[in-house]
Amino acid sequence: MSVILAGFRQARHSNVWIFGTMLFSACLSLLASFVLSIDAVRLAADPDTALSCNINSVISCGAVATSWQAGLFGFPNAFLGLVAEPVVITIAVASLGGVRFPRWFMFAAQVVYTLGVIFAYWLFYQSIAHIGALCPWCLLVTVSTTLVFTTLTHVNIRDGNLPVPARLRSTLKSAIEADLDAIAVTIWLLLLALLVVTKYGSQLFG
Amino acid sequence: MGKQARDRSRDLRKAQTAIAEQRGKRRPLVVGGITVIVVLLVAIVVAVVNAVGDRDPATSSGALVAPKSATAAGALVLGQAAAPVRLEVYLDYMCPFCGRFEQANSGELDKLMADGTVRLELYPLSFLDRMSEGSRYSTRAANAVATVADRAPEKAAAFNEALFDNQPQEGTEGLSNARIAELAQQAGVPQDVVDVLDDHIFEPWIAKSTEAVFDTGISSTPTVKINGEVFKGDLYTVGALTQAVIAAKGQQ
Repeated sequence: MSVILAGFRQARHSNVWIFGTMLFSACLSLLASFVLSIDAVRLAADPDTALSCNINSVISCGAVATSWQAGLFGFPNAFLGLVAEPVVITIAVASLGGVRFPRWFMFAAQVVYTLGVIFAYWLFYQSIAHIGALCPWCLLVTVSTTLVFTTLTHVNIRDGNLPVPARLRSTLKSAIEADLDAIAVTIWLLLLALLVVTKYGSQLFG
Repeated sequence: MGKQARDRSRDLRKAQTAIAEQRGKRRPLVVGGITVIVVLLVAIVVAVVNAVGDRDPATSSGALVAPKSATAAGALVLGQAAAPVRLEVYLDYMCPFCGRFEQANSGELDKLMADGTVRLELYPLSFLDRMSEGSRYSTRAANAVATVADRAPEKAAAFNEALFDNQPQEGTEGLSNARIAELAQQAGVPQDVVDVLDDHIFEPWIAKSTEAVFDTGISSTPTVKINGEVFKGDLYTVGALTQAVIAAKGQQ
């Protein structure tokens, strides 16, 4: 048992595991962005749909789908996923194939993706606090961007790609060796699940 | 063993001890983290069990009763049954655009019903239940209107309007049952009817007719049909629908 556990803890830091997880999560995120984009385009193309509540709409009635939160930058948010996730997929596939990207490249990816995660969580907060609708595809975006972010951070700490002081670097490294990152992400995702279940449980199971 | 090799092996040992020491320091964090994970898992299971237990027996297994004035297709009939123009309105009490439709047209529709031009068939749907934070506002409101249409049909139009005048924002819990009862009272619904508004009497019927309506190809609210034809004109400006209704009357 402990041998298996030790083996898994070793494998967790391997390229195959890290970039494999990244690839899988980025694909899920791309799929969700795609579905949400189609919904946004359909809504924009048909003014009647925009002025009514559609049973097939994944988010809500036009009133919310056309709210300022839904197009913060002047176009549907989901388009950002269509632009960004293929880059992540490329990085993951190339890395699985043995490509080593320069430090500055991985650091830039980390910075940009961190902004993306912040945006995803802002949207999650908006939908929970103000829009109120349970939107499975939006939840999928939240979860999968979280997974991409953690795998990217994992690999950047492992390879020392982040320009941080040496002491912090070694602290981060040892934290990852102790699997604290995996524990933190698990707690985080379970917290999200608890939040969704308590808020929408009667709807999901009632 | 040369000095260099000795140095190297000492350095290696040192490094290994350092790692082992750090691992030891991390152990409480790991144990704590795993404890939190277990607690969260238990909490999620409890929340799911509670949610399943919350299921209201009246809504899921209640007998299917249709309101007295209901059509087989799932509509509540308001106005004179023999009126020449049949106007079907598909709505959901949580749908913001249905609110705008009512604002623009309810005055006109009242007149058209009063002078015997229009027989209004309301289809109160419940698909926007997902938009009320689990409180199923669409079903609750639709059931209340169906109850009024069944027991005090002459007050149904006024109650319908009152619900839209006080329409909650999409994505909120919606009006409470008490507030719905208050609006019914203000619309002139007799007290004995108000008392049974939250008895879920017609909820199974609402669920069934919502499904039946979507099976016919209706895919959004508000949808308005004049004598069976979908009205494609402006639903949100006073007058457009009235003109179409009068034109339809003239054709007969």
